[in-house]
Amino acid sequence: MPDAVLNVEDLSVTLDGVSVLQNVSFSLQKGASFAVIGPNGAGKTMLFRALLDLVAHTGVVEWQPGVKIGYVPQRFTVERSAPISTMEFFLLQSAHFWRPDAAFRRGLDQELRSMGLSPEVLRKGLGELSGGETQRVLIASALLRKPDVLLLDEPTAAVDAGFEETVYALLHRVQKERGTAMLLISHDLTVVYRYADRVLCLNKSVVCQGRPVEALNPDALATLYGETSFYHHEH
Amino acid sequence: MPAPPHATFWIALLVGLASGSVGPFILLRRMALVGDALSHVALPGIALALIYHVDPFYGVIAFLVAAAFVIFWLEGRSRVPPDAIVGLLFTASLAVGILMLPSGDVIESLFGAFPTLSVPLLAGILVVAGVLTALCFLLAKRFLFLIVSPDLARVNGLGRGYDLALLLIFALIVALGIKLVGTLLMGALTIIPASIAKNLAASMRRYVILSAIFGGAISVAGVWLAESFRFLPGPSIVLLGVALFAVSLPFARRRLA
Repeated sequence: MPDAVLNVEDLSVTLDGVSVLQNVSFSLQKGASFAVIGPNGAGKTMLFRALLDLVAHTGVVEWQPGVKIGYVPQRFTVERSAPISTMEFFLLQSAHFWRPDAAFRRGLDQELRSMGLSPEVLRKGLGELSGGETQRVLIASALLRKPDVLLLDEPTAAVDAGFEETVYALLHRVQKERGTAMLLISHDLTVVYRYADRVLCLNKSVVCQGRPVEALNPDALATLYGETSFYHHEH
Repeated sequence: MPAPPHATFWIALLVGLASGSVGPFILLRRMALVGDALSHVALPGIALALIYHVDPFYGVIAFLVAAAFVIFWLEGRSRVPPDAIVGLLFTASLAVGILMLPSGDVIESLFGAFPTLSVPLLAGILVVAGVLTALCFLLAKRFLFLIVSPDLARVNGLGRGYDLALLLIFALIVALGIKLVGTLLMGALTIIPASIAKNLAASMRRYVILSAIFGGAISVAGVWLAESFRFLPGPSIVLLGVALFAVSLPFARRRLA
């Protein structure tokens, strides 16, 4: 496909003899918004790790040559008492850690604004940030690289319920304004219906795939989550 | 050719600076105990060098660099808990070293002494300590990235080579300081300045700078105390550092309040 930034064919991952992903195939189009849904333990995070070559896998993962990838993991591994300022977390993306240049600072100001963060957040310790701030800092940091594709692993997992909508609205604006393709793991079907062009239902292998209104039919959702699940109604 | 006057102070200053520069990364990687145990591996190196009439310094370097590779290999094997194995392996090497070491050299090897060095070896130690300090500052961003999020760091093109680089820098700094501070206490010299600085700094850049300054200052002051009161330099440096750490504790509570 000429406009695909990512092509995946027959991707499988086996850990310690246990199959955690089987024959996953899909493609991500330039500038598109693609959601991955599935129950806990379905292999969603493992799919991302395989796409990023962080785990051994078989099959084809073909990124468009020269494509810039931004990744937003679920969390940091850093301890709360570590003396690392939020500014320094952003400086990890800068060529000059000890003396950042003006161009970097301008780019940073722009990304802070795009994620609705005030410059005061830069002085806070990385471990002092609230869940919502952490998530937006992670996204802003990924955006600093001006990525062509953004991989988001449950970007609202640690965010207050009322704030989820804001994060998705901000991400949607980035996608529309900059043409950044989004590959998004989400639990929230409402978000998938509202923001995703395509959806992939995953439970170790692909259960359904396509436009959300077509792919997420009652049968597919029952297979994915069990008989008791509810699904989105069109009004 | 005898070493110039104040040679011990110069070693203390530059090795202290280097120890303080690498310490923050070892501490944030939660490798303080592994680092401490690493210095014990030097003992069989010293013993073998003495048996074969080689300068013990080279035995120390060979054993510590080998130990850095062992830790790196263990870290890459997720199914093996590295701390238990490192503890066992390195304590065993301490025991082997003690059995092999001529009895007259035991105290000096374990707790350090005022080193008597030739001018070329002294110059070599000082230059290498300076280079290792500079490397810690130059690679600080990469080391920090791998600590904060190894996955993000790899997506940004940083491989495990930087983990190995940190371990090798650490092993070499320990090797440089062992003559002065001793195999039992040298690991502590890398951890103590970083522990003090962590209580006072609010950012990583200040943390590394403060830790380096404390490393140099504690080492020089410890050597001065040892000379003045005829103590061994190793215990003097370590005890002075621990006392400063106690003084710094209330500042940590204030910083995290």
